[in-house]
Amino acid sequence: MPDGLFIFFAALTLGAALLLVVSRNAVTSAMGMILALVGVAADFFLLDAYFLGVLQVLVYAGAVMVLFLFIIMLLDTEDATGAYPWKTAALGLATFFLLAAGVLWLFHWSGAVSAVKAGATPPELSNNPAEFVTAAKAFGRLLYTKYLLPLEIAGFLLLVALVGVVSLSKDNPESNA
Amino acid sequence: MENTSLAHHLILAGLLFVLGLTGVLIRRNLLVVYMCLELMLAAATLALVAFSRFNRTMDGAVLVFFVITVAAAEVAVGLALIVALFRKRGTVQSDALTTLRD
Amino acid sequence: MPSDLLSLVHWILFLPLGAAALSALFLRRAGGLAAWLSTGTAFVLAGLSLTLLTQASGDLTWHIELAKFGSISLGFGYLIDANARLMLFVVSFVAAWIHLFSVGYMKEDPARGRFFAGLSIFMFSILGIVVADNLLMTFIFWELVGFSSYMLIAHYFDKDYAAAASKKAFIVNRVGDLGFILGIAMCLSLYGTLDFVALKDHAAAAKTLPVAVGALLMCGFLGKSAQFPLHVWLTDAMAGPTPVSALIHAATMVAAGVYFMARVSFLLAPDVLNFIAISGAGMAALAGFCALAQTDIKKSLAYSTLAHLGIMGCAIGLGHPALALMHMAMHAFFKATLFLGAGSVIHGCHHEQDMLKMGGLLKKMPLTAATFIAATLSNCAVPFLAGWYSKDAIIEAAYHDGHIAIFAFLSLAALATCLYSGRMIRLVFLGEANSEEASHAHESPWTMTLPLVVLGLVYSVAGGFLAHTIIPAGSLKPIEHALGEVAFHLTAPSTIVGLLSLVIGFFGALKFYGTVRGADALQVVSPRTYHLLEHRWMDGLYRWYVDSVQRRVSEFIAFLDLLIINGVAVRWIGGGVPAVLGYLTGRSFHRGQTRAYALWIVLGSLFLAWFLIAR
Repeated sequence: MPDGLFIFFAALTLGAALLLVVSRNAVTSAMGMILALVGVAADFFLLDAYFLGVLQVLVYAGAVMVLFLFIIMLLDTEDATGAYPWKTAALGLATFFLLAAGVLWLFHWSGAVSAVKAGATPPELSNNPAEFVTAAKAFGRLLYTKYLLPLEIAGFLLLVALVGVVSLSKDNPESNA
Repeated sequence: MENTSLAHHLILAGLLFVLGLTGVLIRRNLLVVYMCLELMLAAATLALVAFSRFNRTMDGAVLVFFVITVAAAEVAVGLALIVALFRKRGTVQSDALTTLRD
Repeated sequence: MPSDLLSLVHWILFLPLGAAALSALFLRRAGGLAAWLSTGTAFVLAGLSLTLLTQASGDLTWHIELAKFGSISLGFGYLIDANARLMLFVVSFVAAWIHLFSVGYMKEDPARGRFFAGLSIFMFSILGIVVADNLLMTFIFWELVGFSSYMLIAHYFDKDYAAAASKKAFIVNRVGDLGFILGIAMCLSLYGTLDFVALKDHAAAAKTLPVAVGALLMCGFLGKSAQFPLHVWLTDAMAGPTPVSALIHAATMVAAGVYFMARVSFLLAPDVLNFIAISGAGMAALAGFCALAQTDIKKSLAYSTLAHLGIMGCAIGLGHPALALMHMAMHAFFKATLFLGAGSVIHGCHHEQDMLKMGGLLKKMPLTAATFIAATLSNCAVPFLAGWYSKDAIIEAAYHDGHIAIFAFLSLAALATCLYSGRMIRLVFLGEANSEEASHAHESPWTMTLPLVVLGLVYSVAGGFLAHTIIPAGSLKPIEHALGEVAFHLTAPSTIVGLLSLVIGFFGALKFYGTVRGADALQVVSPRTYHLLEHRWMDGLYRWYVDSVQRRVSEFIAFLDLLIINGVAVRWIGGGVPAVLGYLTGRSFHRGQTRAYALWIVLGSLFLAWFLIAR
């Protein structure tokens, strides 16, 4: 039986994700999304990835979701109305259970994961910076040594995205006509 | 934290991923579809962190860092696209967008 | 290379790039600021180049490696020899005054920011060619020059003829560049290096030079320097603003080909040299006479440029690259003056370019007229003017080396030069005004006349003389070398021929073209000759080739593509599979529904995942 905290946050995450998927109101969906992301961040904490957990809350649950909420309110999209789409819901439910069964088979019943990774608990942490350590310093160290080129590319990508967004959101009357 | 194995985290990640995927398939509102996509991405990062932690290497965690960066950029561009689409077509319901057929 | 000189070269190369970037990014709407930024940069460049010319001596090299593939090293570097310093100075000095001229000429143009950014990026490109120390770097800047020329010809891109002319220039240059890049590849496979210095050692060690390398490298020269048969783009390129014609299509860009040929002259086999010499001489004579049948003042000058490029090519072919470079330098000065003078005339006549509608401008635009006539006389190689030192030297060299046919062609070209020069002077500056615009002509502002005076009077008239006195000895080695090659005296055959053609051609033309008013005298006397000289047949030939030969071939290839690749490979698999599935399930797969597509993606990835896991 796994740890109580893990069960709590896993349930929270899955429940919030379910809310995101089924809610007919976009704002409710966004709230579910925020909760789900916080749950994922909590799981990061349980895995000793404190830095990533904080990053997840700050960037995802914070900035990105605020952006989503802004856009939802800006566009003011109508809620889904009319009869409940039973057909779609049934299709979705079937898809979900089919794929979920696949996931469970892959990670649990097939025994592939536990065969590779003996031991029911995570290995002890060490102080070797090349291995998994909790400090943010370790990230910085890797980002500026082994992953320097990807870091540069990521920075460039952000710049390109910035330019792209500016040019996309420019109200060009000719192309809008 | 005592008794959670790698499989537990992977199952959580997998279920989250499947939930997001289902949402992508059945939802019509492009914004919600987009959020479901982000959920799938978050599920993938969860799996990465779990692998990284259980293999005692830093590489997976650093990859998550990049995924978050790319996702932020992607969200910005994607939302700008959706807004541009809304300006042009007046709707964000995917059913109304069938011009690809022609 | 000493570090102070190295940083000087860095500045020379990257300053115009900076100016171009600044103008293109931030000054698109502030045309006036962009104009002065670009012009200021050009003058600083001229000063830096002059410093380099006077301070440096010998061959200076600097190189960094950018990438290494096996034994092949690609890099960025400078090779500053005497030729490069001379070319740097000529380009930046002429360009500086043309920039200043443009400030006045383009004053009312709404897209000034784009124009001056284009001029600056052109400066960057051409200077890159000049300082490059390897073939690849040359090629990259070569293409940049092509791009900037394209951009500047198409400055009035809303006019159909300008758009067509820029396309023509670009495409014709591509034809030459295809040969160029093949030549580079061949150099790499034969010698294993692209570095000029190393190539020179290899070539010196080799007993015979492969003809193919030289011929392929020559293709680039044929395109860029508008040599026969790729010369057709240059006259159309006059669709750009006049300063562009002066800077790019008369003074510097077309000279880049000559410079490049001089730089790799050690790679050219004798057969290649012979071809260049003969085709150059032939084109010089042909283009000279074609200039007689143009009524557009700029097109007439463009044919004159073609003639001079032919002469330069001829000098390369005769084995006197130093003479070619010297003529390039002199020609740059007086041809820039002629084009700027033409620009001033056009500006003064309210954008009238037809020479038949001008006339009598000598009194209305005295400064322009004086400089234009001075440059024209230099063009005609009147003794002791700039053109005489270089052009007659080449003709004399042909005679001296015993190439009588080439000598004859060049003499014909000299005669043609005098003829069209006389015609131009007669039609534009003498006689009576032939149109409303010409009768209201006015002198241009100082920004336009000052460059004319500096370039025209100082350099066209006293260029050869100044070359000896002002600039310190040793720094102008190519010119001194060239002057040493051919003795100058007034009784040399070339000078006799030159003087004869001057008297017959120039004064004959002055008289002949005075006989008919408001029309071209030759057209009146002999319409058929005139039509032949209009030089439409070359374009017609290309049109026939593209329409009847190339199109047939490409249509055949397109048919094969449609049949085999598109028909069998793509349609059959890509279209067949969904069609069968659609038939089985009874519905169309292509309904434009995003979610349906997403479902297919999911099914596809599940299949892939199953495939990978079950493996």
